[in-house]
Amino acid sequence: MVIIPASTGQMGVLPGHVSAITELKPGVLSVHEGNEVKKYFVSSGFAFIHANSIADIVAVEAAPLDQIDSSLVQKGLAEFTQKLSSASTDLEKAEAQIGVDVHSALNAALTG
Amino acid sequence: MAMAAAFRREGRRFVSPQPITDVRSSLIPEDHAPLGVRSISTQVVRNRMKSVKNIQKITKAMKMVAASKLRLIQTRAENSRGLWQPFTALLGDSPSVDVKKNVIVTVSSDKGLCGGINSTAVKISRAFNKLTLGPEKETKYVILGEKAKAQLIRDSKKNIAICMTELQRNPLNYTQVSVLADDVLKNVEYDALRIVFNKFQSVVSFLPTMATVLSPEVVEREAESGGRLGDLDSYEIEGGETKGEILQNLAEFQFSCVLFNAVMESACSEQGARMSAMDSSSRNAGDMLDRLTLTYNRTRQASITTELTEIISGAAALEG
Repeated sequence: MVIIPASTGQMGVLPGHVSAITELKPGVLSVHEGNEVKKYFVSSGFAFIHANSIADIVAVEAAPLDQIDSSLVQKGLAEFTQKLSSASTDLEKAEAQIGVDVHSALNAALTG
Repeated sequence: MAMAAAFRREGRRFVSPQPITDVRSSLIPEDHAPLGVRSISTQVVRNRMKSVKNIQKITKAMKMVAASKLRLIQTRAENSRGLWQPFTALLGDSPSVDVKKNVIVTVSSDKGLCGGINSTAVKISRAFNKLTLGPEKETKYVILGEKAKAQLIRDSKKNIAICMTELQRNPLNYTQVSVLADDVLKNVEYDALRIVFNKFQSVVSFLPTMATVLSPEVVEREAESGGRLGDLDSYEIEGGETKGEILQNLAEFQFSCVLFNAVMESACSEQGARMSAMDSSSRNAGDMLDRLTLTYNRTRQASITTELTEIISGAAALEG
């Protein structure tokens, strides 16, 4: 089973799932093999669930959760929050918002 | 390749199957060797040997450089294939879809001396352009790399929409390519993007390949009319406001992924092609050096023999 961080919410996919295309949001992707669980953090991407019990997950970046440095995440979060409050143009605001979203998702993934 | 051709041109002068006694006339211009001069100057051959040896050193070094670069990039290129495979599994690759606005993205290298990979990419692009010609149709080129630019600018200058070079100054990465893809998507109107590149198979073989990325409208149209994309309707599409929006995101993401792979494959093919081109150049230089050495030694021996004969026959005349 895999748990996919879909943009509409967490989504568990088991064999025989109805075929679907879904966008991903920053979050934790967990792959369950028997009792073993591997957790990855993905920044964004797409997941295609095919009718023949195959699921493809395409992500721009994926990193195992245990390789992420929590102090850097805190630092990044603070940096982008500060940027968001000082942003003047729409572009800057959007960029800062993305940064905050990714970092808070990272934070949640590490603490949760 | 150019270098190899130059070798052949230079070499022809020495390879001619003339008898050795004729070497003098072919090596030394008439005005340098007046009639009746007996000694044969080997200076010219020695100079030529030196320069061939130097060229061989250069091509060998270039081969080494290409080989080490290839090692670096090969695994990355092969891993990047995982990026487009899911898209092809979902949408299929449909080179035959007929649309109005075709955009041909030709991926080539910035530097030469790498065999025929650039001209292959250009040839395929041109052939595809011809195939899609028609009334009310429009084909634009987006060119990556200096070499394809130089070739395509001659006959299709007005059709070139964007031209980008020096892609490989920094090691290729996804961020760089996605910025580039974004640039193309924003500035060029398209119904279908055709990405032409050389797919890396092995160090000596490259497969000219065309990958197709359809615009969201065309995807929807094709899905409605059935065909290969007909399966798309059976997929539940989640997230986003509308189906169109998701398809738009999907198409853009697909393009950046496919382009990333294309750029990697092309860079990898370039190094491979350069490696084999430089290998054959070094071999040619070696062959030529052998031939020159043979000529040089024979000429020297011939002059020694002549002198000996003269001395001996002189002595014999005195005795007699």
